[in-house]
Amino acid sequence: MHDELRRRRSRLLSLPAIIVVAVVTQAPILATLGLSLVRWIVVRPDLGITFIGLDNYADIFTSRDFYEVVLNTVVITVASLAICTVLGILFGLMLNRDFPGVNIVRTLIISPFFVMDAVAGIVWRTIILNSSFGWNGYFATLFGVKPFDFFGVHSLLTIVILIVWQWTPFFVLIILAGFQNIEPEIMDSARVDGTGWLRELLFIRLPVIMNHIEVAVLLGLIFVLKVFGLIFVTTRGGPGYSSSNLPYYVYRTAFLGWDVGHAAAVAVVTVVVTLLAIMALFRWFRRRVTEAA
Amino acid sequence: MSRGSRALRRAPGIALIWLAAILWCFPLLYMLITSFKGEADVLPPSLWIAHPTLENYATVLQHEIVRYILDSAVISVTAVAACLVFGVPVAYALVFGGLRNSDNLYFWFLSTTLLPPVAVIVPVFLLFRVTGLLDTLGGMILIYTGVNVPIVIWMTRSFLLDVPREILESSDMDGSSRLRSFFSIILPLARQGIVSTGLLVFIFVWNEFFFSINLTYVNAAPVPVYMASFMTQQGLFWAKLCAISTLVVLPPMILGWLAQRSLVKGLTMGAVKG
Repeated sequence: MHDELRRRRSRLLSLPAIIVVAVVTQAPILATLGLSLVRWIVVRPDLGITFIGLDNYADIFTSRDFYEVVLNTVVITVASLAICTVLGILFGLMLNRDFPGVNIVRTLIISPFFVMDAVAGIVWRTIILNSSFGWNGYFATLFGVKPFDFFGVHSLLTIVILIVWQWTPFFVLIILAGFQNIEPEIMDSARVDGTGWLRELLFIRLPVIMNHIEVAVLLGLIFVLKVFGLIFVTTRGGPGYSSSNLPYYVYRTAFLGWDVGHAAAVAVVTVVVTLLAIMALFRWFRRRVTEAA
Repeated sequence: MSRGSRALRRAPGIALIWLAAILWCFPLLYMLITSFKGEADVLPPSLWIAHPTLENYATVLQHEIVRYILDSAVISVTAVAACLVFGVPVAYALVFGGLRNSDNLYFWFLSTTLLPPVAVIVPVFLLFRVTGLLDTLGGMILIYTGVNVPIVIWMTRSFLLDVPREILESSDMDGSSRLRSFFSIILPLARQGIVSTGLLVFIFVWNEFFFSINLTYVNAAPVPVYMASFMTQQGLFWAKLCAISTLVVLPPMILGWLAQRSLVKGLTMGAVKG
């Protein structure tokens, strides 16, 4: 009886949050699903809203732009997560020692994570990478070469650089926590065995903190698949579609073309791709754990 | 080996680490440097501030940016408060509430954080336009609450799991009500975790770009919207750009610095141990 009362009260406590989250995230998803089946171009009210079944999806899967954007998304995600992991381990190793100013060094490395996309993008785009007035132009003149074309041919690389700059700190925080959790006895026994530094890192330390690395990669994946602001303020997804990812593609279709049905369909595809990627990575990590066990 | 010679042997490595950290943070450090330069000294790039000045800060603070900062502050603080009010009770119910399906409920909340915002933007935009929530502070607060409540639940739950159950049970025996023991026992024990959760949500909301650029124009526009329009409207005033940037990144940086340890703990704990 007492338990039943407690359960009812717990349900009551959860209800407001369930409603808010459902209204803001779940209901709109269903609406997106519905909208993806209609033709509705807001700036052409004369056309009205008509049900067209899966035509929007057919349009997407036959458009070359879409495949370019999917490929960009894959490249951005895989490249940034790989580089973030490697740099995260390197910085984590560096910070996992005691030396003068270690706290300042950690603050310097972690700071970019807390900088808003809008500022990160603008600062990089102007004072750092601008081909005439930024450091990019400065070094080009110094060495007598042409400035690196960060916003033309290499725009996709620029997006990866910015994501890596912003998200490596996140990897560092988690991986460093992993290193600091390693019990001293494990390291001591390795030292007694006379294991070399690299072998010790590869065969003792990294396997022990594998859980932390996986968490960082998984959370990193969730966030990197949502990247939008960095692209908006630096390359605007261009030139052409060369630096657009799926979220930016949805934005372009919805708010530049005002094609609601088409945008909703791309959004649905984006959700499916996102969930598949997360599930695949999660499964892969799980399998690795069961094989090891 | 003497201590002195060992320190000397380590010196190059430490210098290298310092160099790496300074290079990593260089865009921010150089942004700070540029913010103290006169507009005429910005080009060509140089690390030296020839004529240090606070003029940029004085100018931008008389500017419309102040209104955007106020919008950001109102939206962020209110959203954080709402997220905690909605989220903490759920975390409590999940951990101590004896719910039979608590895992399902927890995973349902978690799963909503996986979704990219583009999945909801079109209907939300249409809904906001019809209901008049477009470009209002209330609309932005509603969105950010819905998006961040799951994060509060996720982190707070892992901090509450740390609270020993025996304490709660013994206070049950004393006959004090659950409501009272929540405020007198659980809240104080989990306070630090809940505070850092609030700080994290503040940072997320303050920095958020996608919803703010799509759902606001002038009346409720927060800082990121102003930053995005700065380039087109203000042209090449880089020193002022850097002064504004420095001002708006300071709050999340300070809060993030304060919260970093609990942040890692809250985000990873369930996952690492589970």
